[in-house]
Amino acid sequence: MADSKRTSTRSNERLAGWLFIAPVVAVLGLFLVVPILMALWVSFTDWNGQGSPFQSGVPFAGLDNYTGLFAHDGLVRQNFMTSIRNNAYYVIVVVPLQTVLALGLALVVNNRMLKGKGFFRTAFYFPSVTSSVAISVVFLFMFANTGAINEILGFFGVSGPQWFADPRGVLHLALDAVGIVDVNAPPAALSGHGLLGLSWWDWTSGPSVAMCAIIALVVWTTSGTFMLMFLAALQNIPTQLDEAGLIDGATRWQRLRFVTLPQLRPTMFLVLTLGLIGTWQVFDQIYVMSKGNPAKTTLTPAYLSYSTAFRDFDYGSGAAISFVLFLIIVSLTLLQRRALRERP
Amino acid sequence: MRTLTARFAGYAILVFFSLVFLYPFVIQIATSFKTEADASANPLSPIPHPFTTDSMTRIFDGTDFPTWLGNSILVTVIVTAARVLFSAMAGYALSRLRFPGRRALFAAMIGLMAVPGVVLLIPKFLVLNQLGLYNSYAGLIVPILADAAGVFIMKQFFDSVPVSVEEAARIDGAGIFRTFWSVVLPTARPALITLTILSFQGSWNDFGHSLVAVQDPALFTLPRGLADLVSGSLGAGNQYPLKLGAALLATIPVAIIFMIFQRYFVRDANDGADKG
Amino acid sequence: MKPGRLVTAVAAALLLTTTACGSGFDDKAGTAQQSAGPADLKILIASSGPAEAKAVTDAAAKWASASGNKATVTPAQDIAQQLGQAFAGSTPPDVFYIDAARFADYASVGALEPYADKVTNLDDFYPNLRQTFTYDGKVYCVPKDFSTLALEINTDLWQKAGLTDADIPTNWDQLTAAAQKIKAKGIVPLAMGDTRDRVGAFLVQNGGWWTSADGKQATADTPQNEAALTYVQGLLKDGLVKFPKQLDAGWAGEAFGKGKAAMAIEGNWVKGAMKADFPGIKYTVHELPAGPTGTKGTLSFTQCWGIAAKSKFKDQAIKFVDAMTAADQQMEFATAFGVMPSRQSAQAPYTAKFPEDAPFIAGAAYGHGPVNAPKMDTVLADLDTGLQSLATSTPKAVLQRFDKNAKTALGG
Repeated sequence: MADSKRTSTRSNERLAGWLFIAPVVAVLGLFLVVPILMALWVSFTDWNGQGSPFQSGVPFAGLDNYTGLFAHDGLVRQNFMTSIRNNAYYVIVVVPLQTVLALGLALVVNNRMLKGKGFFRTAFYFPSVTSSVAISVVFLFMFANTGAINEILGFFGVSGPQWFADPRGVLHLALDAVGIVDVNAPPAALSGHGLLGLSWWDWTSGPSVAMCAIIALVVWTTSGTFMLMFLAALQNIPTQLDEAGLIDGATRWQRLRFVTLPQLRPTMFLVLTLGLIGTWQVFDQIYVMSKGNPAKTTLTPAYLSYSTAFRDFDYGSGAAISFVLFLIIVSLTLLQRRALRERP
Repeated sequence: MRTLTARFAGYAILVFFSLVFLYPFVIQIATSFKTEADASANPLSPIPHPFTTDSMTRIFDGTDFPTWLGNSILVTVIVTAARVLFSAMAGYALSRLRFPGRRALFAAMIGLMAVPGVVLLIPKFLVLNQLGLYNSYAGLIVPILADAAGVFIMKQFFDSVPVSVEEAARIDGAGIFRTFWSVVLPTARPALITLTILSFQGSWNDFGHSLVAVQDPALFTLPRGLADLVSGSLGAGNQYPLKLGAALLATIPVAIIFMIFQRYFVRDANDGADKG
Repeated sequence: MKPGRLVTAVAAALLLTTTACGSGFDDKAGTAQQSAGPADLKILIASSGPAEAKAVTDAAAKWASASGNKATVTPAQDIAQQLGQAFAGSTPPDVFYIDAARFADYASVGALEPYADKVTNLDDFYPNLRQTFTYDGKVYCVPKDFSTLALEINTDLWQKAGLTDADIPTNWDQLTAAAQKIKAKGIVPLAMGDTRDRVGAFLVQNGGWWTSADGKQATADTPQNEAALTYVQGLLKDGLVKFPKQLDAGWAGEAFGKGKAAMAIEGNWVKGAMKADFPGIKYTVHELPAGPTGTKGTLSFTQCWGIAAKSKFKDQAIKFVDAMTAADQQMEFATAFGVMPSRQSAQAPYTAKFPEDAPFIAGAAYGHGPVNAPKMDTVLADLDTGLQSLATSTPKAVLQRFDKNAKTALGG
């Protein structure tokens, strides 16, 4: 009798298991797995948005949408490469900035001698909780030509730029200020030749002034979350280690470099990689603040994928762009796992 | 940090950055009550001159704000409740119940967590269209009723809880669902609260999904409506006080939840540090 | 069953199910079932502001109660995107605005119903406007109104710069001279939008255009066009022309209305905005300056009432469009939000009522419509990007780039 009870319990358990997990499987399967497969199919076609993409009249394009992004000299490739360039500069600036800021703030907040930890922690984390759209509205106001930021710059005697109207790259401006090149008359060697549809001059522009406003917004929003992660890790470091360093006569900086930072390595890797993954997906802020303007210097692959599909009705190319972006992000995710495992 | 100057420097840094992180909200609140001319002339000032509730009242009769608010509340409540329930059920099943395919499903879920939301914009639109759900409440709500991250969190939590209490209930003859509902769930309170907050925040602030799921203004949620306001459907002028006021109102619910459940927010960020 | 295969089986089952339930798509687009009874028309418009939204909603309500149908008017915030998504689904709006620039895109994919021949007195519409909405030899839809660009001059700022009526520019040289005098007094001379929809006027004034007359070839890289762009570039470099963003405005009309510029190049929609938002500004309207060869040029903009091929209420929709484009209804719209009627029979009453709009209506004769070939949207957006940085780039490069991209898009 015990046997039959056990088998009936076992099959009960099986049934219960499937029932319990059914809603999640249904929703995720239908709205995560199936869409990806559908989009994969669409990326191999020239579907223009009318009718079902599975019907017979839809033109098959093979790998054309993908080769158009890399090999075919044309506007599609140029836009894609521009978006990659913009996003790459964005990543290069945002990730170090937010990591350093998060770490710095965590170190200061964590200090035993300072009071008011709770308040400061809340203050720094609060921006992360709000909606990206709402924050974008506030920053649009702050970075307006007669906005708060330019008023602050005015206190220092600096005439602030027209943030969202200025397409000039920061690197170009820096070189121009030093006198090496003239922003308005780029050297022929750089602007005459190029790679993959963009001239060398274009590749080396740095983030544009408009992009810098968006960078400021994102760093401001995400540093709080990463600061919390560093804080948690810092609080897990046994204080004996630090005290041992003190006894040994190490200065504050030496203690930081040789005791604290190595302990933070796993968190550092996590923050860096989460940052890398997040920055390649920037979309909401672009949509609300600039839509790729001025002069396509805030165009990112995520936004390009969206606009190619929904504004130009070229769903095939849009889907292809999103899959290439997917590959980029997945490679970064795998890099994170590998880097973490390599820890001794 | 022994010396007084070092302490002073530390506080200075903290106060400076607190200003940086909080002042934009001060500007937001102040500007919502300024006139347009005042907002353009004195963007930094935290005191409106003159003080006017003009923009705030215009938000309620001049824009569709009440509709957006209603939709946001509806969607967020349903999605949060569903996500918490489904994630708890699925997490429990993956952690405790033995059924075929369990390991594969868990691996699949981890894989799905790696899919960036942005990549799904076009695909979700295609599926919604194919199923006839586009531009409806169903299309707005159903696709986000479950998420892999929530399941992962619950499974991790259940994995860390000893089986003893449940076993006692089972021996007493309670069915699986009964055990789950009356015995297991109450002990999962911290994780459930964290999940509730995460889901609330996620669905209240969600923009991308509503962008591709609906286009009828009657179905807009707050972020979508706000984006609509900003992209110029107002017609003439910048009308910053109005836009910032709307953004402020959209932020308040999340701010309140944040203040009340602060410690859980902080904890969930730390969970991220552990599970990485 | 092994777990891996189980997952595959589930995925395959899901895929098959959704393909089978492909209820979202109406595969036979042209044969939408027609409903004879009272219609429930969904009308999507791209409103230029509250005035237009109200006027159209009121007119629709009037028609609805008179004809026993229902009509719901919705102003779109991004009509191109919303129409695009709607066409992909199975229930697009029945009636909607179509901008001339996007008309070919929609017509070429079969989203539109060619109903124009069923409208009262089709020939009464201006010929060049009818031509704008002709695709493959068929007139698909009727223009609802049209607008042209003209030069607006702020009376007070003009006088402050020491200029009089005699100085009103009628050609490029006079424009430069007047602008320099205004700049000398520390006022921004001219506010103009930074897209092809404004800069293009100068190309027309110099006898050129982006594409050929039949819209099948790219003709941007010509000496005339280069001269026109060089002229505009000169104005930008000397600070005689400023783009709206540089003046912290969303469009030139706003900069003009806030008194930030003495002149503006805008269409007749600026009248409504000035009256509603900037009533204190006194201004006059003049035809745009002619080019060096004395050619007058301006740009015309028009939208038509489109009816969806998938609509279930086509007959009622056509009656609705008929009512909206009747001459007296067009005059009402003209009064409400400052557009010009697209019926020639309404021209006389219009000029009688709005004599100060003579420069706008004069543009009907020499105004050039937008580029309307299908699939040109990305190319034109790219052109706009080039024009935004015109001050620091080379005109010839901008034109050559357009030609290259347009050639690929037009398949020429």
